[in-house]
Amino acid sequence: MTGNTLTGIPVSAGISIGQAYLLGEDHYCLIPMQNISKDLVEQEAERLKQAFEKALEELKRIRETIPVEQSEHVAILDVHIMILNDPKLLSTTQRYIHEMHLNAEWALEKGVTEIEKRFEVIDDDYFRERAQELRLLTRRVKNQLIGSPESIKPITSRVILLANNLTPADTAELDASKIMAFATVQGAKTSHVAILARTLEIPAVAGVEGLLTAVQDGDIIIIDGLKGHVVVSPDDDELTQYSDLKYHFEHYRKEVMRHRDLPAVTTDGHKIELFANIELFEEVSAVFDYAGDGVGLYRTEYSYLNRSDLPSEEELFEEYRDLASILAPRSLIIRTLDAGGDKIGQGFEHLEEENPALGLRAVRFCLRYKDIFKTQLRAILRAAQLENVSLMFPMISGTSELREIKKILEETKTELREQSIPFGENMAVGIMMELPSAVMIADILAKEVDFFAIGTNDLIQYSLGIDRTNKYVAHLYQPLHPALIRSLKFIVDAGHANGITVSMCGEMASDPYCLPVLVGMQVDSLSLNPQSIPAIKKILRNLSLHECSNLMERILESDSVSKNNQLIRDNIFKKFPDELMFYSSMLEREEE
Amino acid sequence: MSHAIAKKVYIRNELGLHARPAALLAQEAAKFEAHITLAVEEMVVDAKSVLDLLSLAAGQGKTILLQAEGRDAEQAVLHLENLFKDGFGEN
Repeated sequence: MTGNTLTGIPVSAGISIGQAYLLGEDHYCLIPMQNISKDLVEQEAERLKQAFEKALEELKRIRETIPVEQSEHVAILDVHIMILNDPKLLSTTQRYIHEMHLNAEWALEKGVTEIEKRFEVIDDDYFRERAQELRLLTRRVKNQLIGSPESIKPITSRVILLANNLTPADTAELDASKIMAFATVQGAKTSHVAILARTLEIPAVAGVEGLLTAVQDGDIIIIDGLKGHVVVSPDDDELTQYSDLKYHFEHYRKEVMRHRDLPAVTTDGHKIELFANIELFEEVSAVFDYAGDGVGLYRTEYSYLNRSDLPSEEELFEEYRDLASILAPRSLIIRTLDAGGDKIGQGFEHLEEENPALGLRAVRFCLRYKDIFKTQLRAILRAAQLENVSLMFPMISGTSELREIKKILEETKTELREQSIPFGENMAVGIMMELPSAVMIADILAKEVDFFAIGTNDLIQYSLGIDRTNKYVAHLYQPLHPALIRSLKFIVDAGHANGITVSMCGEMASDPYCLPVLVGMQVDSLSLNPQSIPAIKKILRNLSLHECSNLMERILESDSVSKNNQLIRDNIFKKFPDELMFYSSMLEREEE
Repeated sequence: MSHAIAKKVYIRNELGLHARPAALLAQEAAKFEAHITLAVEEMVVDAKSVLDLLSLAAGQGKTILLQAEGRDAEQAVLHLENLFKDGFGEN
């Protein structure tokens, strides 16, 4: 790797070579940074001040429209008004006009960034997150400044878009056909930009530190969405090498897509269903595009995010019902809320949690706020009139918790019955196996539910005691750790011994290198991001259950991760040269 | 005649100096002419700026040094001290 290469997380496969286009936070670079002449400084400062005043008026107008019964919203708006009216905010931003002669748009950006920096060092989540509110609020000021849309510099040619982070609101304003690839400073595999890039089938790398300082607008760069690299101003050798890789990958992808509608069976006839994980309703189209057998994990958090109230039963019911009817007869597994109070709605008590990952989230949160839980259960039960719907609960740690949840589910059914509201009486109910405690009692839990879904992301984190987003320990995130292999095998065997199916969602299910192991332990189905389904299917169709079972035997006897990696490479991937070239995985991570 | 006055106050309300109390405090402080600051350990901020107050990240039980300087410094400190005593109407 040369000095001009930055490394991040590969979030969407592919290679792209093109011109960089820097999108500043909140689109600031749509308006170029300008130095204004001295005699215009006062005028520019006044323009900024007026933009603040207009934004403030706008906010006050919104406040007037809120009915009195929603007094908590008024209180929030009052705080926002105070923030926007804070003389410090105006003076901090105006200083960039007075001292650095920046145009108002960029002075605002710089000033807000300066204030944000003061908040970044706070170790209390609540106070730190106020900075995001400030950022959102100043968008109103920005909009006042920009005013007429013709001041926005349009993207005229196809470019590689670089940004700190991209929100759905940002990308909604972009012309997708003009974008060849994405790279962002923030973000990870499940960020909005990652999902969008995979949907558009363009390469993307997230989590690239130093991206916006290393690259200038207009630089030629290479985005390697396979390995997670960004090459800045490549030399001739690099250009040749990557052009070659790009050609091969595009050829490989076409071949994969050609075979997507073939059945997901091994050469010796063993079938594994390939489902899709989706988060947004719109992603359902990808299930069809990539020939998924259904939705194995519908994450329901999205309907609760970015709003100040909670979704109603009717709203959720319609969402679930519509999704189920589009997918039918393919199955739809809906997972109940897997977030904490910090993510959803407003008005939750602010909890001081040292370790949110081990805190009040998922079913624990739902058991504390039973009304929210029951609303969602009612919506799912009603949608389950369509027989392809099933339900699963995340973060189950033991039997008493599971029984309490099942009791609430029964209560909810009784209420629906009493109100003569039709629902799916026989809906299957499963649980996520993602805590080590649940694994150890998988044989007991298997008697209480209709199916297991192994959530490998959390299971690996909790089993190995590492936070995979922490770069200092991320190398310890090893799906092929013997402890994990034994856990997975134990879950699958316990499930099958009790006559229930075992599926797997989580990134491990989309890792080509883990596939032979999962086939070998006879996982019934995999649920993965829809775009990865065809590639996994291609490998699956070239594996035999026989060879995977043999591999599994040897892996169960092995005592180290490196030995497991070696076994998979030597025994299986010799016959997959393309995959070895295109997919980075733990085989490589270990060598780095 | 200019006055300078300082007083120790405690944060009594459970959530600390979160958004609503910070907004209330800044709003009330702005009614006075005096220059008013809040200090927690070595950090000193302007009481009339809600952003400054939030950046203190002051939780329940924190001791804050309230200082004011100016013609109406005494009234200002007295008034703001009462807000703290009252837990910003939250307890």
